Amino acid sequence: MSVLFIHSHFGPPPACFNAAVEAGLVTIMRESTLDGGMLAAATGIITTTHLDQVWFARYQAETAHMLERGGRLFFNGHILRPFAEGLENYRPMLSKRLADFRLTQVNPHPVFGDLDPADMMTRKGVAGFYGRGHNPLPRGARVVTGLGPLRLPVDWEWELPGGGVIFSHAGNDLWGQAPEGEAGTPDFAMRIARWAAGEWVKVAA
Amino acid sequence: MSILAINPGAYYHLESLEGQRYAHYFDKLVRPEELGDIDLSSFDVVLVPCRTPADRMLPHANKLKAYLDQGGTVIATGESDQHLWLPGIRFTPQPTNWWWWLTPGADLGVRIAAPEHSLFQHLGQGDLSWHLHGWFNTPAGAEVLAVNGAGRPILYIDEVTTRGRMVITSLDPFFHHGSHFMPATTRFLDGFLPWMREALDIQKEIA
Repeated sequence: MSVLFIHSHFGPPPACFNAAVEAGLVTIMRESTLDGGMLAAATGIITTTHLDQVWFARYQAETAHMLERGGRLFFNGHILRPFAEGLENYRPMLSKRLADFRLTQVNPHPVFGDLDPADMMTRKGVAGFYGRGHNPLPRGARVVTGLGPLRLPVDWEWELPGGGVIFSHAGNDLWGQAPEGEAGTPDFAMRIARWAAGEWVKVAA
Repeated sequence: MSILAINPGAYYHLESLEGQRYAHYFDKLVRPEELGDIDLSSFDVVLVPCRTPADRMLPHANKLKAYLDQGGTVIATGESDQHLWLPGIRFTPQPTNWWWWLTPGADLGVRIAAPEHSLFQHLGQGDLSWHLHGWFNTPAGAEVLAVNGAGRPILYIDEVTTRGRMVITSLDPFFHHGSHFMPATTRFLDGFLPWMREALDIQKEIA
């Protein structure tokens, strides 16, 4: 099985993944049609901000199985039902001054390609779209993008002790944050698909 | 116990429905898939929050219609495609202008259409203005509470299509409040939910 994109919302899935689907990297499936066996059998999983976290948390064992086989999970949104041991609930930012929204690349990551997170801080001059808090950093995880002067881990990557990797982006779906707007979204989606499929084995620290 | 809220499980639903700020407004939360096992007649209100996937509500359309015909109240907020699973709703989506407020002095155009309504003892016009997703053709006899800049209904109460009451809006406050985004949506819920308790959490007048 390929990478499973869990399509949680009603309506068409994001078109920016069409190329990844055509390349055979990603299979998009409606959340309600999935069962634990399909999650366990996937080589990777991509979830969106609309994920039904109550449903997903029921499949912690199956998700763990996918990860233990070396699978990858790309998570978008605020964790409010931790789905793996070591994860904690989302923490919204308390201060919302402009400087608190500044984005810093703490460690480079291949899903960004040539993009600098700092260029994604504002849209039409307005800050706050990229992220407004963080999913707490699990022990042993690496911060990818820092938010504000404390570089809170709005993006992180975690190689789990038992195998597998989770990438967390604590905001709206990351592919929608391309600074070029819609023109840059398919490339961003393709890099995320490639990462979830197992490309780029080790991230440079 | 009389306010039943549907919990579709996305983070913005969990934050809005379970978070400390509003959790006490809901007597019971159920998953859409559990609706078939719930005795709706024991609730005065069934609330369906923004962005509840319509295909998770569709299997329960007949049950909701029967509940309404027994005098129940359904509240359904925006981006939930209410027209697919509630009776008598005609919805027209409109392009969303996310950026109107960047223009100095700009006005989204939202207007309160029934200022005497009890809801507006809790809400001002500014508490309804963040952006628009569409408008409704309301049935004759429905009470239009707020309109968009073209005078089209975006928030109304329908007590004519069924023997019960539908409070319908294209505004999506639960989504944005639950995303910690857009303070107007929090102000909306700060007023709307107390009104829901005061005005709708009562023994049914029509049985």
